[in-house]
Amino acid sequence: MSSVPTAAGDLSMEPAPGSLRGSAAPPPIELQAASDNSRRRKLYSRLFYILCVLISLLSVVVLAVLLASITIQGQGMLTWQLLTGSHSELYPESSGMWPSIIGSIAICGICALSALPLGIGTAIFLEEFKPKSKPLRMLHGFIQLNIANLAGVPSIVYGLLGLSLFVFMFNVFGQIQVNESAGLELMGVKRYYQVLTLAGDGHTVLIPQDDDAEPTIQIDQPVIAVDDQGNEFELSLWEIGTPRPTDPAEKRMTVRKGAIGGSYARTNWSYFRLPFGRSFLAAGLTLALVILPIVIIASQESLRSVPPSLREASFGLGATVWQTVRNVSLPAALPGILTGSILAMGRAIGEAAPVLVVLGATVAKNSGPQNMMDNVVTMPVLIFNWAGRQQATYQELAAAAIIVLLVVLLLMNSAAIYLRQRMRIEA
Amino acid sequence: MVAVLAVCALMTIGITIGIVVMLIGQSWNFFQSEHVSVGDFLTGTHWTALQSRELDNAEFGIWPLLSGTFRVTIIAMVIALPCGLVTAVYLSEFSSSRVRSILKPTLEVIAGIPTVVLGYFAILVISPGLQLFTGGAFDTFNATSAGIAVGILCLPMVCSLSEDALHAVPRALREGAYGLGCTPFETSMKVVVPAALSGIISAFLLAFSRAIGETMVVALAAGTRATFTFDPREQSQTMTGFIVEMIKSESEYGTVQYFSLYAVAITLFVITFAMTLLGQMIRRRYQESYD
Repeated sequence: MSSVPTAAGDLSMEPAPGSLRGSAAPPPIELQAASDNSRRRKLYSRLFYILCVLISLLSVVVLAVLLASITIQGQGMLTWQLLTGSHSELYPESSGMWPSIIGSIAICGICALSALPLGIGTAIFLEEFKPKSKPLRMLHGFIQLNIANLAGVPSIVYGLLGLSLFVFMFNVFGQIQVNESAGLELMGVKRYYQVLTLAGDGHTVLIPQDDDAEPTIQIDQPVIAVDDQGNEFELSLWEIGTPRPTDPAEKRMTVRKGAIGGSYARTNWSYFRLPFGRSFLAAGLTLALVILPIVIIASQESLRSVPPSLREASFGLGATVWQTVRNVSLPAALPGILTGSILAMGRAIGEAAPVLVVLGATVAKNSGPQNMMDNVVTMPVLIFNWAGRQQATYQELAAAAIIVLLVVLLLMNSAAIYLRQRMRIEA
Repeated sequence: MVAVLAVCALMTIGITIGIVVMLIGQSWNFFQSEHVSVGDFLTGTHWTALQSRELDNAEFGIWPLLSGTFRVTIIAMVIALPCGLVTAVYLSEFSSSRVRSILKPTLEVIAGIPTVVLGYFAILVISPGLQLFTGGAFDTFNATSAGIAVGILCLPMVCSLSEDALHAVPRALREGAYGLGCTPFETSMKVVVPAALSGIISAFLLAFSRAIGETMVVALAAGTRATFTFDPREQSQTMTGFIVEMIKSESEYGTVQYFSLYAVAITLFVITFAMTLLGQMIRRRYQESYD
């Protein structure tokens, strides 16, 4: 449309009526008025144009101020320590964001794995399998309207849904409150009793637990135990009144008769239970709900922009609908779908509210997730936490963390643009 | 295979049902308590769910939170709607392709900035700036700075949706207007914008609903006191801000105070859902078709 205004400018600059007559006779009064009027209209138009330019410039200025102020505030804290350290209450200067970077990646991985197939599948269904009968068409329209509405639901409401649906699972598997190992544990966990040995310094041995319902054990006869390396051995007992063993190695394999051991759960990376609790799995799935409408709408738009003639040619060659989708529409729409997906992932990485609701506001974590049910910190939540503090150091840390987050987003967006360009060339 | 895809599509309806069931189910726990009534909730002007540990002292009247939300939202709209529309008009009617190639990416970058970053910007730059210009008339946390930040956030959305609507207006209308001797101002404001009005109004409504649901900016910059005033210089806890504070406070699950957050959430959901639905309906129903 950009060519219209210049052409229009010429049109509207038709000479004022007065000037046609030359200066021989003074122009009649109404023509004079008309000329004033058109001058005024042109002035308005000019002013409006200037207003447009100024207001449009405003957004550039705002972006520049935002980036400049955050860079100035955060540059002092932009150190290697920031990338490798973890949050510290006592020494703010040495705080870092490594766990939150890992956490963000973990959550976004889960989010991508669940939202992208679902979203692209839905888009294919809505665009390529248009129903013919009337009730199905109405259902189709309803789904379409519903998706548009889902896109407008505030992300914090999705957070609350994730809290009920993934964290507590509507309390179907019992209420999870403080006890870490509640719920229905499916795999990746082994239960032991932990008993103090004679070695002192809190040294313990583990005794495999047979009955989950029994929270403690009293050692009265020798049992099979496991040491730190996982080797099994028979536990020996020491009765009060008899001489204590003196050999340190033996001490480590001996417990007092009648000692009481508490329950201890050892989890490996595949630990999985229902409900998910405050885990990164729950957070990732919640984020998937948030970006699902975005993925669907972007994929639909790019499927819609595939020219119908391509599909018709495919049908004309005798391909089925499904073959057409797989061989024609989907490859043609892929660059657009990928770009939309990466932009949606960018949204997911920057989203704080749902993660905050699902995982809680704690940031004291010094590693990435240890198992699938582990809590994590994400970059936006960490920034929110730091930015909400009074100390100047945390304020600067927040700005530095924002720079890191923005760089990550920039990298993702560049990847999107690069992919789009490359696929265009190949296509 | 088609069945799998159909299940994917039906899942989206499942999400909506899930949201509604969850909100109604959880806020039922709140309204069931004899300490609260729906009437008091909808008309009360005091909200002290976070401040009072004792249930007897807690007052649950939604209006302070609503007024906080609307103060922030109105300030945001005063900024985002005119600026967004004018930028859209400029982009679609006047700009050269060179200006466009700068302006469009700028707006996309602003749209991609995480909201928590804008919240930080509000407390880092906007709020001190306001205090500087007015000689300290504003609170440290106030509705205006949060509103301005939310306005910046909504601007790209208003702009891109309005621009789409303006683009859909056929060239013939513009040429007709210019042929009748209209100036560019008259053409765009009296012909093109009215022709795209349904799309523009729907863009406004969608931006409005986005601003109401915005969370991180208000949680950082709008303060934590729920006040029932129209003074934009004061602290103003919004509905979303309250939900975040409640979650942050790690209040015990099961108390009436805790469940009050679901009552707030259902109010928020109803308002935004109505806005979005209205926006979608206007866009579909009144879409001018020029084919």
